[in-house]
Amino acid sequence: MSDFLLTQVINFGTPLVGVILFLGALGLPIGASAVLIAAGAFCQQGILNWPIAAATGLIGVLIGDMLSFGMGYYAKDWVQKRFGKSQIWRNARASFQQRAGLAVFLTRWLVTAVAIPTNLIAGGSGYKFSRFMAYDIAGEIMWIGLYGGLGYLFGSQWELVSDFISNFGGLILGLVIFGFGIKQAWNWQKQNKAKSYKKAEV
Amino acid sequence: MSSKTRPQQRARVIGLIVIGILFTAFFGMRVMHAFRKFNGHRPPPAGKIETDVELIRDWMTVPFIARMYHVHEEIIFESLEISPQENRDKSLEDLNQAYFPQADGLVLEKVKAAILANQPPRAPVPPDTAIPPLMPVPPVIQ
Repeated sequence: MSDFLLTQVINFGTPLVGVILFLGALGLPIGASAVLIAAGAFCQQGILNWPIAAATGLIGVLIGDMLSFGMGYYAKDWVQKRFGKSQIWRNARASFQQRAGLAVFLTRWLVTAVAIPTNLIAGGSGYKFSRFMAYDIAGEIMWIGLYGGLGYLFGSQWELVSDFISNFGGLILGLVIFGFGIKQAWNWQKQNKAKSYKKAEV
Repeated sequence: MSSKTRPQQRARVIGLIVIGILFTAFFGMRVMHAFRKFNGHRPPPAGKIETDVELIRDWMTVPFIARMYHVHEEIIFESLEISPQENRDKSLEDLNQAYFPQADGLVLEKVKAAILANQPPRAPVPPDTAIPPLMPVPPVIQ
């Protein structure tokens, strides 16, 4: 899939970069990060014009993010009906609201695998759209600047960068899941201790 | 975690920790491997003409390769013995399937050979230290 897209980016240029980043932001597994790094390399080789490619890519990915936020927003009622009584969902919602800005920013460029669920949760949990967009724009500029910039810097050796970055993203995701599990275990241990004290007092 | 934790919660937490460890170990190994490949490669100097034909891939088109290696695309098409018309937008893989379906990877090899044979001459590399003149320079009489 990625090889086919790379050939088409060479043939159709900048508009296709915007379309690919848009589809990637909607959750289609088309290797948007790899295409972005390659696009940076193509800019260095004179195939694409970097300011136009960066602007088109940014517009594409922002529209995709807005739509996935919208999907979460319009599915809010259904989610509320389905999970509204669940304590876990309420806790997750409250926890997300506390750190939503950081989550939106970091999932744009560091833990990209969970960007779509973050958009859906942001939309579904009633997070303010203007705030979401502010963090989203900052994160996507970072993503395009960092990934595209590395592709530009390494030129024809961009595949090395892409290989490293895709695996590094997986490593960060693993650490986040592990850290989340440890935090949950810690919280429950604290809760249980508190309950034991209360019972002992009674 | 105490024994009072509900079994479902306990299973979820253990599941998260196990998945986290598996992900970290799997991608950690891959990161190490990618880093070893990555290490030692430095960004090429700006404006450098590419010379390493091992960077040619199946998804590339002939005009793209011609631009990357500063070799006329007509030379590459001639080496493949095919017309540029209707083939400029095709990847090497598509050209292989269209013209040499029995010989897998033939187009890639032919293109590499054509690039090696027709690359522009490399610019002479300036020496790191100044070369002393062969003849002693006579002193300037004022």
